[in-house]
Amino acid sequence: MSENRTPFFVGYLSAPKGLRSFLLVSIVSMLLFFAGVGWLLATTQPDPGSAGFLPGRQTLIGVLENKPYPMLHVTEGSNRISTGTTVLLSGGGKRGVQSRGKDLEGAVVRISGQALARGDLQMIQLRGGMQGLADMSDTEAPGIDVEDLGKWRLQGEICDGKCLAGAMRPGTGLAHKACANLCLTGGVPPVFVSSQPVEGSEFLLVGNANGEPLTEQLLDYTALFVEAEGRIERRGSLLVFLMDPTTVRPLP
Amino acid sequence: MSVKYIPVQWNTNKWIYDIVLILSVGIYLWIFIEWGPVLLDHGKPVTPQIHNARAFGSCAFLMLTLILCIGPAARLNQKFLPLLYNRRHFGVLTLFVALTHVGYILDWYYAFSPTPKLEGVLTANTSFGRVLGFPFEVFGIFGLVVLLLLAVTSHDFWLKFLTPRLWKRLHMLLYPAYAALVAHVALGALQDQTSPWRAIFILFSAGGVTALHAAAFLKEARSETTVSLNDWITVCDADDIEDGFARVVRLENGERVAVFRSGESFSAISNACAHQNGPLGEGRIVDGCVTCPWHGFQYRVSDGCSPEPFTERVPTYNLALDGAKIMLNPDANPPGTPTTPVSLGENGK
Repeated sequence: MSENRTPFFVGYLSAPKGLRSFLLVSIVSMLLFFAGVGWLLATTQPDPGSAGFLPGRQTLIGVLENKPYPMLHVTEGSNRISTGTTVLLSGGGKRGVQSRGKDLEGAVVRISGQALARGDLQMIQLRGGMQGLADMSDTEAPGIDVEDLGKWRLQGEICDGKCLAGAMRPGTGLAHKACANLCLTGGVPPVFVSSQPVEGSEFLLVGNANGEPLTEQLLDYTALFVEAEGRIERRGSLLVFLMDPTTVRPLP
Repeated sequence: MSVKYIPVQWNTNKWIYDIVLILSVGIYLWIFIEWGPVLLDHGKPVTPQIHNARAFGSCAFLMLTLILCIGPAARLNQKFLPLLYNRRHFGVLTLFVALTHVGYILDWYYAFSPTPKLEGVLTANTSFGRVLGFPFEVFGIFGLVVLLLLAVTSHDFWLKFLTPRLWKRLHMLLYPAYAALVAHVALGALQDQTSPWRAIFILFSAGGVTALHAAAFLKEARSETTVSLNDWITVCDADDIEDGFARVVRLENGERVAVFRSGESFSAISNACAHQNGPLGEGRIVDGCVTCPWHGFQYRVSDGCSPEPFTERVPTYNLALDGAKIMLNPDANPPGTPTTPVSLGENGK
């Protein structure tokens, strides 16, 4: 004989008396279960770091350098970006500013926009039009110090400089890979985050061996832990990793 | 059961089910979204759009895991049948939670770009040759498409239109969809975690779904009798079937037959409910009718027809008694064919 004596539930009838206490316990358990899992998954998220937009608008004067990606060697800083600093430049959203400064290579310009910072990595998201980037080429441009730091093999992650600098928190990692690739194809400067600091800095702007932009060859390697070889230069205060793209390989 | 199509046949149990469901999801999202940043106490919090995407994505995964656990849990213990009764509302709500997750992702990771959002989803990452760095989004897209398809076809109109067999096969896509979503999470969000708890959560979820299905399969295999398609086959002794219950026989051709006892009489009908192929043999006889454990569809044991005014019908089988043994003719009668119940004391073979 069957030993199945469980009260039989039929959806359109009242729940059998023998089942009601079980259902009550199930309801409470379900509410507690959802609350518990929500708490567990919410409170175990890793710290995204202290990167982010800095308050206030920054207006800076400096020398514009376009290769491998637009950067400004600041000659007149602000209360948050000091003179002598080299900052990366980007446009709004996932866009670069290559086209806006292409005729001003090496010239003095005045820029205005919102600053982002992660450690010693600083970026300005330019305002639109002349308010964001104005020609001051009638001012004599000072020379920019360039120091060859030799050939290096680095391990770390290739990121888009803008999300890394705090446009998103977190702006790194595999979940962010598609966003990073969209940023890079839009012209945002790529940045190599070294697992070991190089000359005191863990962030290096990336270019190819000739100092030209290097975007398409990087897209398969963004957000991964990789190893790459190349020459490193210090331009102003910024390290530039002139990478040989054939040496990039993911590490386990 | 209904003789016409209406959007939702509401009843008290469905109201309670949906209220508990919405409350559960609401509590999850409230704790994750509102309390998460407070409890984490990061110097600068996770960007709200990313935080919300994580909340809705993880909630959808949890909901889908529970949906897949309900079926085997109800096979192992009928006390869980009430959770199965309104499961399709669970599924539709899961779709909405998943769509919200997708909305946050599209409007953040794929926004502000010269590349259109949907084009970006398909072209931003094309590292198909790698495991780490694989465009895990494609697994999410597959899961979402399946959830959408199942939600759209969840109404009984589609069940009737597609036929229960095809509808059931279509809805079995939920299993590959779940596997795809495990891959979506494992190759995406999980890779950026420093805490082991998310990996434990995913392993526990996928492992739980697998273990429950395996346990239900083994229980079913143990409780069924598989018989060859000879002329007449022995089911069991009459006393082995409790009044109001059934013994399920699995024929060699894969068909299942439920042999029911009603008082001193025995009748056999197909084990597959005409509604969603629910296991009639795990149901009971209520008010003289076999009642499906899933949604309460009813059939007369003597002819496999639903009582008037309903029109569902299932195949019937002929029985005979050989002494105390119940004998079954494995040739199915057309759905709704009347049969003569056999009673103890007869020897009709």
